[in-house]
Amino acid sequence: MFNYITRRLLQIPVVLFVLSLIIMGLMQLLSPEQRAAAFVTSDKQIENLDLIIEKYHLREGFVVQYKLWAGEVLRGNLGFSRISKEPVLTTIRKRFPASMELALAAFVPIVLVGVWLGTQAATHRDSLLDQLLRVVAIVGWSLPTFVVAIWLVAWIYGGLGWFGIGRLPSSLLIELAGGDFKKYTGLFTIDGLLNGRLDITLEALKRLVLPAAALVIVVSAGIMRVMRSSMLDELGKDYVRTARAKGLAEKTVVYKHARRNALIPVITMAGPMLGRMIGGIVVIELIFNFPGLGEWAAKAALQLDVTTLLAFVMLIGLIMAVANLLVDIAYVVVDPRIRYE
Amino acid sequence: MKKHLFAVIALAALGVASAATPQDTYVYMQSAVFDSLDPVQAYDGASIGVIENVYETLYSFKRDVPGEYEPTLATSYEVKNDGLTYVYHLRKGVQFHSGNPMTCRDVEYSIERILVTMPGDSGAWFYGDALTGYGNDAMTEAKKALGENASQAEIDKFLDAYWQKIEDSVVCDDLYTVRFNLAGPDVAFFAKMLFTAAGVVDSKWAIANGAWSGTEDDWKDWIGVDLRTGYLHNHASGTGPYVLVKWDDKNIVAKAFDGYWGEKPAIKNVLVQAVEEEATRLEALRRGDADRVDVNDWATVNAKVKQMSGVKVWSDPAWSPAGAHVVFFNFNVQGESNPYIGSGKLDGNGIPRDFFSDINVRKAFAYSLDQDAIYNDIYEGKAAWYTMALPPTWPGYDPDIPIRKLDLDKAEAYFKKAWGGKVWEKGFRVTITHNAGNTVRQAVAEMLKANIESINPKFKIDVVPLQWSDYLKAARAKSLPVWPLGWGADYADPDNFIHPFYHSEGSLAKRQNFKNPEFDKLIEYARTLVRPDQQEERFAIYRKIGRMAYDVIPNVPYPRQSPFIITRDNLQGVYYNSMISGDFYWKDLSKK
Repeated sequence: MFNYITRRLLQIPVVLFVLSLIIMGLMQLLSPEQRAAAFVTSDKQIENLDLIIEKYHLREGFVVQYKLWAGEVLRGNLGFSRISKEPVLTTIRKRFPASMELALAAFVPIVLVGVWLGTQAATHRDSLLDQLLRVVAIVGWSLPTFVVAIWLVAWIYGGLGWFGIGRLPSSLLIELAGGDFKKYTGLFTIDGLLNGRLDITLEALKRLVLPAAALVIVVSAGIMRVMRSSMLDELGKDYVRTARAKGLAEKTVVYKHARRNALIPVITMAGPMLGRMIGGIVVIELIFNFPGLGEWAAKAALQLDVTTLLAFVMLIGLIMAVANLLVDIAYVVVDPRIRYE
Repeated sequence: MKKHLFAVIALAALGVASAATPQDTYVYMQSAVFDSLDPVQAYDGASIGVIENVYETLYSFKRDVPGEYEPTLATSYEVKNDGLTYVYHLRKGVQFHSGNPMTCRDVEYSIERILVTMPGDSGAWFYGDALTGYGNDAMTEAKKALGENASQAEIDKFLDAYWQKIEDSVVCDDLYTVRFNLAGPDVAFFAKMLFTAAGVVDSKWAIANGAWSGTEDDWKDWIGVDLRTGYLHNHASGTGPYVLVKWDDKNIVAKAFDGYWGEKPAIKNVLVQAVEEEATRLEALRRGDADRVDVNDWATVNAKVKQMSGVKVWSDPAWSPAGAHVVFFNFNVQGESNPYIGSGKLDGNGIPRDFFSDINVRKAFAYSLDQDAIYNDIYEGKAAWYTMALPPTWPGYDPDIPIRKLDLDKAEAYFKKAWGGKVWEKGFRVTITHNAGNTVRQAVAEMLKANIESINPKFKIDVVPLQWSDYLKAARAKSLPVWPLGWGADYADPDNFIHPFYHSEGSLAKRQNFKNPEFDKLIEYARTLVRPDQQEERFAIYRKIGRMAYDVIPNVPYPRQSPFIITRDNLQGVYYNSMISGDFYWKDLSKK
C-alpha cells in the first residue's frame, strides 16, 4: 500500500508538466496582438499595444516563453494574476479555502442524499417511490444550476429573508478587516471555532446553506441513479440470496451486505466530483457572491491571463491526482478484498 | 419524523437574516472589480471610486455643481508666466492617515512619482504631456528618439535629461508653496490636477515601505513599472476622509479618518463589494443588505427596481455622463484587401476608400440614423441628447445646434447628389462594425442598415460584430469605414473631447483620417488661451467648432443613457457629479 501511494505521488509532477505544455502550446495559436489585446481594458490603452507585447514577451516563441515561465515557477514564483491583481499564490491562498469550504459543505449532503435515495429507489424497485424518485432525478438533472441558484437567491434569500449571500455578513467583513481574527485555515466555519468566535462559525454556516442546497438539488441526482443501479446489481447476487436464506433481517442484508458493495461505483464517481467542486463552481460562486477558484479561473480563461491559467491548471491537476488517490484508498476501506501491491 | 421537523425549524431559525445595514455603515455592491488602489496606476471607475475618498487632490470637484471646484489640499492658486507656471498655496495642519504632516515635499513626491513611473496603462500620459513634454515613460521615449540600436551612453544621456525635466517640473518654493513648471501651455492643467492620479501620497510612509525613494538614485528602477506589484497597490496613506482598512479580493473596507482636517463624515464604515451578478445585487438591495447597488440599465430599473419597497431611484434629466458616443466615418479607409469595403470601387459591390469624403454621403447617413428610436426605445426615454461630441453639462457645449433626426426623404436626396449621382445609379456595399456584446452599438448599426437599404435596393450594408481586441485593432489600423464608438473623459476639461474628436492629430479623428485645417487652427488657438480671463473666449471657440461640425459632419453624435443611482431610501446626501467615479463622495452621505 505504501509503495503504491509513493508511486502515485511520483506521477504527479509528470502530469503537471504535460498539462503546462498543453496550455502553453494552445496559447501559441493566438497572435501576439490577440494576446496583448487581452491586457487592454480601455479605449485609451490601444495606443500601447506594441509596448504591452514587448513587456510581456508576447512575440517570443514557445520555448522562450515556456522557459521564462518555468524558471520563475521553479523559484517558487507563480507570477502575478492580472485577474485578481495580486500574486497568483496569494489568490490561491485566499480562494482555495473558500472553494474547499463550499465543496465540502455541498459534497457531504450530496453523497448522503444520493446514497440514501438511491438505496430507497433500489429496495422499492418499480414501486411508486421509485417512480417518484426517477422523476425527481430527471428534474434535478435537467435543471441548469444557475436557474436553481437564482431561484434560491430570489425566493429564499430575497423573498423570505433567510440565510444570506457572500461568505459573511457585511458587519463581520468590516470587523474582520480591521480586527485580529486569525485565519488559521481560511475556512470561516473552522477559524470561527479556533478563534472562539461561535458567531462567525454560525454566520459562515448560514451562508453555506443556499449554495450547498442548490448543488444538492442538481448534483445528487447523478449519485442517486448510479447508487440505484449498482444496488440493484448487488441485490441480485448470490451472496444476498444466501444471506436472506440464512435468515438475516432484511435491514442487515440491504444496509450491511449489499450497500457496502454497491458503494464502489459511487466512490469512483464521487472522488473526481469532489475534485472538480474544489476547483470551483463558477455559476454558484457568481450568484451567491462566494469568491472561489472557479470564477477566478473562468475570467482568466476569458481574458487570456496565461499566468493565472497555468497556475490554476497545475492546481486542478494536483487536486484531481489527490482525489483519485483518495478514491483508491477509499476502495480499500469499503472493500477489504482490494489490495494494491 | 419529529426529529426532521425539529431540524427544519432549527435551520429556519438559523436562517432568518437581520435586514438593513447599521446606521453608520455604507455598503455598496458594484458590478466592477477593482484594478489597483495606487492612485498613479488606477484608471478604472471601480478603483478610482475608492481612491477619491482616501486620497485628496489640491483642488476637487464641488459636490453636484458641474464645472466648479473647491480648494482642498491647496487654499489658493495662481497662473503665472503666460500659463507656463502654476503656483499652489497648500493648506497647513493637514495630516496623513499615518500621522505624518502633509507638506510640499509630499506633493512634489506624488507628482514626480507619476512622471518617473508613467505606467502605459494609466492616465500618467497627460501629466507627462503637460510637465515634461513626454507622453511615455523614459525608456520608451529613449527608444523612440534614439532608435533601437542606440548605445548605452546615448541612452544614459537621454535619461539624465529626462530626469532633469522631471525634477524641474515640480519645485517646492517653501514647505507650503508648490510650483509647477509646464513644458508648454496647457489649458487643461488645472483640470488634470483634479484627477485622482494627482492625489497626494504620504511620501515618508511610501518610501519607508519600499516605494520609489523620491531621488535620482533609484528612479531608473521605476521607469514604466506596473505599479500593481508595488506596496501602494493595496495599501494607502492619504489625507482623505476615509482610511483604507483592507482590500481583500472583492471587498474593500474603509473607515472614517479621525484626524481628518475637514468636517467629520457621518458614515463611519464603508464596505464596497464587487458583486458581478445583477440578480444577486438586486436581492441584496431588497433585503437591505446593501445600501447602494449598480443596475445595468433603465429597463431593469423600470421592470425590477421601481416596485421594491424601501428603495429609491435617484435621477434627474439634467444629469449627463462624462462621455460621448458617435458614429465615425472614415475619410480614407486604409488596409490591403480590406474586407469592410467590398470591391473598393463604386460598382455596387463595395465603396471607394474615400467614399465618405463626399459630404452628401455623410449627410445621407446622418439622416438615416433614427435618433428618436435610440432615445425612446433603447433608453426608454431616459437619455441625454448630444448636439456635439462633448458632454452636455460641460462648458463649451452648445445645446442650440440642431440634431439631424431620421428623414429618409432628405437621405434619398443626398444619396442622389453623392458622387455626381453615381452612388444612386450603381449602389454600394459597405460593412458597419461594432464590438460584440455592445447591444446599443449593435442597434445603431442595424438601424442604419435597415433605413439605408430601404431607400434603394442597390444599397447593401453588412453589420459585423468584432471581438473587442479586433475592433480596436481595426480602428487603429484605420481600416473601418463606419463604426460607432464612445469616449470617456480623462480629465474635466472640454479639450479632452474637442481635440481627440475634431483635431487631425486627435486620437480618434486620426483613425478616420479626418483633417480640416480650419478645425485644427481653431483648436490649436484655443489651446493657447490659458489665462482664467480667457476661458470664456475658449469655450466660445468650442461652441463654434460644434456648429462647424454640424455642417462638416466628421461624426454623428447620438444620445446616451442618462445616469441614475439606486439606493435604499434611508440613504441621504446622494448627488450626481459625472467627474466623481462613485457619483458622489462618501463623506457627504448619512442615514436617516
